[in-house]
Amino acid sequence: MALLDYFKPVVSMTAEEAREFMKGKNPDDYNLIDVRQPAEYELKHLAGAKLIPVGELQNHLNEVDKARPTITY
Amino acid sequence: MRSRAAASILSDAGFTNIASMQGGIRAWEGLVAAGPPEAGMAFFGDAAKPDELAVFAWMLEEGSRQFYMRLDDYLKDEEARQLFQSLAKAEESHEKTLAELYKSFSGGSAIGDKPMTEKGEFMEGGVRVDESLLWARDKDVTAILEYAISLEANAYDLYIKMGRRFEGDAQKVFSLLGDEEKKHLERLAGLLEKKV
Repeated sequence: MALLDYFKPVVSMTAEEAREFMKGKNPDDYNLIDVRQPAEYELKHLAGAKLIPVGELQNHLNEVDKARPTITY
Repeated sequence: MRSRAAASILSDAGFTNIASMQGGIRAWEGLVAAGPPEAGMAFFGDAAKPDELAVFAWMLEEGSRQFYMRLDDYLKDEEARQLFQSLAKAEESHEKTLAELYKSFSGGSAIGDKPMTEKGEFMEGGVRVDESLLWARDKDVTAILEYAISLEANAYDLYIKMGRRFEGDAQKVFSLLGDEEKKHLERLAGLLEKKV
């Protein structure tokens, strides 16, 4: 299945849906991961977002709680 | 697309409840981003054999190589041009590695003997070369670097997944290619960091 997974549709959320989802929740109830580069993060980022550039994600998986819903951007 | 690649990596690592935010931070602010063409087609069923995977990867490498080469016509930034030319060379060397792998799997036949209608049409990330070039035509260097980062992240993800399917030499080859894609990712990210 791994190869098919490569092309599997990743579940996506519009920004509006993400905003709705986060509203009223404690930032520690979910993972919000910013996968861009540090310079981009510095310019602007969403409140509470954890910065893990996509290239480093594989090495930082233990820093993210699997049990929580996760949003990447 | 970077966020989709990230979601796919997380899903592979056993995360079950993940969503990628469409349009990223630009969408969040109410602006519409001019996104690159989307990936989304399947090439193989479940029963892909090692030699088929080698051909598949070879084909994507060839597509990426052509994309990187042809970007030269659109880019004015000298550093970016040099990086993309060097990545094109790297993809060429990946093709050689995959051709050798194919040879060992197929009992000696050359990868060039295999009829490939898609050769050079698709690239890493599963997107079409011509669509990507069309998209890249009026983009600035940071948008193109971001796009290339997402392609390389997909390639990295793909080789990790391919490596997991096998043992021995095939496993080694795919994990080596994965490491190289990761280095490409870092080089592109480094340049993006500088150009933002």
